[in-house]
Amino acid sequence: MREIRVVPRRDFRVPVEAEKISPDIFAPLTIEEIRKVEVWEGNRKQALIDLFEISGDGDPAKPEEVLIKLDGNFSRVKRVGEKMTCGRIGALGDIGMHAGNGMAGGEIAIKGSAGDWLGREMRGGKITVRGDAGDYVGAGYRGEACGMRGGEILIEGSAGDYLGEHLCGGTITVLGNAGDFPGIANRGGVIVIGGDAHLPGAEMASGTITVRGRARVLPSYQYQETVEIDGLSLKKFLGDLVDNGKGELRVASVEERGA
Amino acid sequence: MIIKGGFVYDPANGVYGEEMDISIEGGKVVEESRDGKEIDALGMLVMPGGVDAHAHIAGAKVNCGRIMRPEDGRRGIEPKTKLLRPQTGYTVPNCYAVGYRYARLGYTCAFEAATPILESRHTHEELEEIPIIDKGALTLFGNNWEVLECVRDGDLDKLAAFISWGLSASRGYGVKVVNPGGGEAWGFGGNVKGIDDPVPNFGVTPREIIRGLMKANEILRLPHSVHLHTNNLGKPGNYETTLATLKAVEDIAATRDRQVLHVTHMQFSAYGGTGWRDFESKAPEIADYFNSHAQFTMDMGQLIFGSATTMTADAPLEYGNARLLHAKWSNHDIELEESSGVVPLVYGRKMPINAIQWAIGLELALLTKNPWQVIMTTDHPNGGPFVNYPEVIALLMSRAKREEELASLHELASKRSSLPSIEREMDWNDIAIVTRAAPAKILGLPEKGHLGLGADGDVAIYDINPTDLDPSKDHSKVKEAFAKAKYTIKGGEVVVRDGEVVAVPQGRTYWVDASVPEDQAAKVKADLVEKFAKYYSIQMSNYMVQDAYVTHPRVVKAGVI
Amino acid sequence: MIVEDVLCPFCGCLCDDIKVEVEDDKIVGVKRACRLGSSKILGHERTKAPMVRVDGELVETTYEEAYDRTARILKGAKRPLLYGWCSTVCETHKKGILLAEEVGGVIDSTATVCHGPSIIGIEEKGLAGSTLGQIKNRADLIVFWGANPAEAHPRHTMRYSSNSSGMFTPEGRRGRKVIVVDVRETRTAKNADKFLLIRPGTDYEVISALRMIVADKGDLVPDYVAGVAKADLEEVAGIMKAAKFGALLFGLGMTHSRGRYKNVDNALSLVADLNGFTKFVVMAMRGHYNVAGFGQVSAWETGFPMSVDFSRGAPYFNPGETAACDLLARKEADAMMVVAADPASNFPRMTVEGMAEIPVIQIDPFPNPTTLLADVVIPSAVCGVEAEGTAYRMDGLSLRMKKVVDSPYPTDEEIIQNILDRVRRLGDDN
Repeated sequence: MREIRVVPRRDFRVPVEAEKISPDIFAPLTIEEIRKVEVWEGNRKQALIDLFEISGDGDPAKPEEVLIKLDGNFSRVKRVGEKMTCGRIGALGDIGMHAGNGMAGGEIAIKGSAGDWLGREMRGGKITVRGDAGDYVGAGYRGEACGMRGGEILIEGSAGDYLGEHLCGGTITVLGNAGDFPGIANRGGVIVIGGDAHLPGAEMASGTITVRGRARVLPSYQYQETVEIDGLSLKKFLGDLVDNGKGELRVASVEERGA
Repeated sequence: MIIKGGFVYDPANGVYGEEMDISIEGGKVVEESRDGKEIDALGMLVMPGGVDAHAHIAGAKVNCGRIMRPEDGRRGIEPKTKLLRPQTGYTVPNCYAVGYRYARLGYTCAFEAATPILESRHTHEELEEIPIIDKGALTLFGNNWEVLECVRDGDLDKLAAFISWGLSASRGYGVKVVNPGGGEAWGFGGNVKGIDDPVPNFGVTPREIIRGLMKANEILRLPHSVHLHTNNLGKPGNYETTLATLKAVEDIAATRDRQVLHVTHMQFSAYGGTGWRDFESKAPEIADYFNSHAQFTMDMGQLIFGSATTMTADAPLEYGNARLLHAKWSNHDIELEESSGVVPLVYGRKMPINAIQWAIGLELALLTKNPWQVIMTTDHPNGGPFVNYPEVIALLMSRAKREEELASLHELASKRSSLPSIEREMDWNDIAIVTRAAPAKILGLPEKGHLGLGADGDVAIYDINPTDLDPSKDHSKVKEAFAKAKYTIKGGEVVVRDGEVVAVPQGRTYWVDASVPEDQAAKVKADLVEKFAKYYSIQMSNYMVQDAYVTHPRVVKAGVI
Repeated sequence: MIVEDVLCPFCGCLCDDIKVEVEDDKIVGVKRACRLGSSKILGHERTKAPMVRVDGELVETTYEEAYDRTARILKGAKRPLLYGWCSTVCETHKKGILLAEEVGGVIDSTATVCHGPSIIGIEEKGLAGSTLGQIKNRADLIVFWGANPAEAHPRHTMRYSSNSSGMFTPEGRRGRKVIVVDVRETRTAKNADKFLLIRPGTDYEVISALRMIVADKGDLVPDYVAGVAKADLEEVAGIMKAAKFGALLFGLGMTHSRGRYKNVDNALSLVADLNGFTKFVVMAMRGHYNVAGFGQVSAWETGFPMSVDFSRGAPYFNPGETAACDLLARKEADAMMVVAADPASNFPRMTVEGMAEIPVIQIDPFPNPTTLLADVVIPSAVCGVEAEGTAYRMDGLSLRMKKVVDSPYPTDEEIIQNILDRVRRLGDDN
C-alpha cells in the first residue's frame, strides 16, 4: 500500500473544495506533483501544499494500492474522494460535506463525523463513519430522480434528515437514529436504522426500510403483518400508497398513528 | 470585409457551391468592401447564417423549465471567461448559453415560438439577455377570449385589429396558434378532441378559430403566416386531425409571397394507430399531401435521443405526458389567453414509441420533395436541444448514418415507418435551404437566409470542402464541422472563430407593427377596456410591453393601410 | 397631480391600481393601497447619507468613499455573500448577479428564509400554477394552507381570490367555498367555510391522507391522522374533488413547519392528483413584492433560482450548502452585502451572529436593524416610488414599476454598477 498523509496547516473558516483528494488522482503522481494539485479555498485557487502538509511514499502506484490518510480537522474540506473508483481514504477525524460524491469503488473510513451529502450519488464502494453523519446521506442532487445507486454506507452514530433520498440501489445502515424522512422516494435501495426515525419511506416506490427503534408511520402505509428479523419483532407495512408504491417498511415500535 | 474563396451555397439566389467572394460592409452584403478586412474561406463551405424559425428559448415556460430542473442546469456548465458569462444547462440553457451555442453552430437568428401577450414582458427580458443572435417571438392567439369572440361573431376586421393590437402589446412577430380552443377548455381541465369539437362557453370550433385567424393574418398582410400547433398533437392517430385541418383551409389564399399556413413540429402531428400499442408513422401520408399542396410549409420537430424538456402552450397534452411517464409536471394558465405546461422526459433508443417518433421526423423531411416546404427544427427543447442540429444534418445527408442509427434502435422504428426504404440523401444545397434559406423565407425575413446584395452580413463558414467530402460516407465529419463553425459572422462582425465565441454583440429583436383602420382599433379598444375592468387582474395601462424591454428593435411594418 | 395605476412596492400581490397624489414632487396621498402598501409609498425615516463605520461608530461619508470601501471588501473576500434583493427591481438583480460573478461570491435572495423550500419542492415535482386572474375568473374553491392573507396580503382576497369576481365567478365570495388549513384560527380562518385545524409539523401526514382519500383509498387511512378526524379530511377531499376549479394557496405555515420542502412537494403532488378529477392549481403566497423576480432573473442568467455560488467561476447551486443562512450559520462567509432586505430582523440568531463577525455592507433606502451591524451603509432610491423597473408578482407575472417622484438618492442599479466598476478596476490593478 502506498500511504499518503494529508494534514491541514490550519483550521479553515472558508470551506475548501478538494475533489482532487482521491486515490485515482494521486496514484499516478509523485509526492511533489501531489503537492501542486489545485484545490479551491472559497474563490481562491490554491496548491494543496499551501493548505496541507503532504507526506508519504513518494513514487506513483496503482490507484487500488493508494491509501490517503487525512489527519486533522477536515470538517470544512468538501468533496474528498469524489468519483473515486478504488483505493482507500482514511479520515482520523471529521470530514466535510460531499465526501465520496459519485464514488464508484474503494473505501472511505471516517473515524469522526461526516458532513451533509455523504456518498451523494454513490454507485459503488464502501463508506463507514464511526461518528454521526449529516443530512442527505446517499441522496441525489437537487431535482435528480436518483441518488445513490449502489455500494454501502455504514454510520455507527446517527444520521440527519433525508437519509437516502431518491435511493435507487445500494445499502445504508445507521446504528443510531435517523432524522426526518429517511428513504423518501426510495426506488429500490435498502435502509436499516438501528434507532428511531420520523416518517420513513414517504413516496417510496420500492425497496425496504427497517426501523429497529421507534418511528411515526405515514397514514398512507398499510399494515400487513408482524415479522421477526434478527430476533426483533417488527410490524411490516406496504407503501407508500399515495404513489401505489410497493416498498416494504418494517418498524419495531410504531408511534400511535392517530395521535 | 471580404470572405474569400469559399464554396458558397446561397440557394435563394441560385448559387450552388460556386467559388466566390462575399463582401460585407456596414453590416450588409455589398458589391465591394474597402475596409481591407479579409477572411480566408478557401476550400470551405460558406452559407448564410442559420435561421431557427421555431425554438423555445425565452420566457416564462423556458424559465419554469430551468427552475424545476436544477439537474439539467448542472449539465453543460462552463465557467465565465474574460469575454463570456457562465453557461449552464443542456435542454434549458441559461440565456448566455443560448446565444453562444447558436453562434457556434453558425446560426445568427432564432425565433421564440410562443409567448402569451400577458407574459411577453418576461419573454423580452430574456431575449434581451441572449447575446449575439437576432431574435423575435411569435405571439399566442389561439385561445384568447377576444379572438374567440371575434370568431364567434364572424368579425374578421375586428379580429385583424385585435391581432395588430396584440402584436404591438407583446412586441410580437407573428400569429402563433396552439391547440386552438383546447387551451381555453383546459381552464376547466378539459380539451377539444378535433377541429369540429366546440370550445366550452364560447360556441366556436377549432376549425373556425384557425380559419378566422388565417384570414385575419392575410388581411393584415403579415410577413409570416399563421404558425400552427395542431389539435390532438402528440396523440396516436392524429394525422387525420392534421390532414383535416389542412383540408379545412385549402381555400384560403396568402396575400404575400409565402405559405398561407406553417404547421410546426409536424413530427408530433403525423401519428397513426388507435393507441400507443399500434402506434405508427403516417409521415408518408403527410408528405404526400404537402407534395401536392405547395401553399403549406412545416418544420420537422425532430426527436433527439436523451434528455428533453417538453414545453408547450398545449397544457392538456403535458398533463397527459406527466401522468403517463410519472414525470415532474408544471402547468401555467394565463388568464383570458392561454395555458401551458412543462414536462421533462428522456427519449430512449429502445423505447418503441420514441424510436418511431425519431423516424417520423426524418421521413417528413426526406419524403417532402420540395425542401422549401419542410425546415429543420427539433422544436427545441421538446424534441431535443438545438445543439443537436449537426446530428440532424448528418442524418439528412447520409443514408448510411440512418442505417447505423436504425440498427441501434427498437426494431419497431424500422417496421412502423418507411425510413429504411428511403434512399434520398440531402445535398449541401438542400441543407442550406432547410436550415437558413427556407426558415427566413417562411418567417418573411427578406434580409436573412441569403447572401444577395443588401442581405444582412450574417455568414457561417464551415471547415468542409464540399468538392472532396462525401457526406454520405463521412457523416461524422459533417456533424463535427457543423457543430463548430470555422467562422460565424454576424452583421459583418466575426463572432465565432474556430468554434469559439470571440465577440458578443447585442442582436436585434424583430416585431411587427401592423396598421388597422381607426374604427376597427376603436372597437377592439372598447372590448378591451371592458375586459380589463372585469376580468384581467392588472390594469390595461400596465399591460403593454414598454419600449424599455426592446432596446434593439427591428420593427417590420404591415397592415391594411 | 394624481398618478394612476401605480404598482405597490410592498407584498407579492404587486397591486397595480394604486392612485398616488403628488404635489411639488412630494407624495401627499395614496388611494386604494392597503395600510401596508400606503405606509411604504408614503415613506418613512430615510438613511440620509452614506456612512462608514469608524471606531465602532457609523459616520457620514461620500458615495465615492462608500463605493470604494465596498469594492475593496468584496474583492478581498474569499467567500463574499451578496444577499437580499426582494425589495428592489430586476434591473438591480442583473447587476447583482454580474457583481457576484465578478467577485466569485455567493448570491442569494430572501427566499432562503421564506419560500425557498417551495422552490426546492418545485424542483422535485414541478408546479401546476396559473396567473392570479385565472383564479379570479374561474375558481369556485380557494384553499389557504398555512397562509393568512388577511394580515400578510390584505388585498389578495378582494383582487384575486376569495372575494374577487370574474367571468365564471360573477357571484364572488357567495359562489365560492373557502377552506383554511392552519395551526391556529387566524382572521382568514374565521371567514372560511371550512377550517381544518392541524398540529404544527403535521402538514405532510395530513396531505398524504388527503391524497389517499382523493385516490379513493380512504378506507386504508386511520380514523385519526395527527389528531385530525378522518371524517374532516374526507369532507375536505370531497369539496376539493367537487370543485370545478380549485386553487391551493400556501404560505410560510407550510414551508416553515417541520417537513419544510417535503410538505410543499407533497402538496404539489396532491394538486397533480386532483387534476385527474377536476381542475386545480397551486401557488406560493410570496411575501416581498419582488422576491419572485429575483428567482426569475437568477434562473435565466445562471440557470438556478437562488443560492448560487460563483466561487469557482461557474454557477453552483445547492441550498443547504450555498444558501445565505447556511453560509452565515456555519460562519463561512467572510463578507456580506445586503441589498434591499433586513436579515438582522428575519434571520435566526445563529445566523445574525455570523453577520456580526464580518464586514457588512447595506444598500437600502431605510435604516433597519441590519444597519446596526453594517460597516458601510449606502442609501438608495425607493423602487416603485423613486425609481422604475421590473418586478414579478407572486404568480410569475412581470410588471413595470413606475417612478412617481424624483429622488436625491441613486438607484440600487446605479449603486451596484458603481461598485462593479470599482471591483473591475481593482481586478485590473492586480
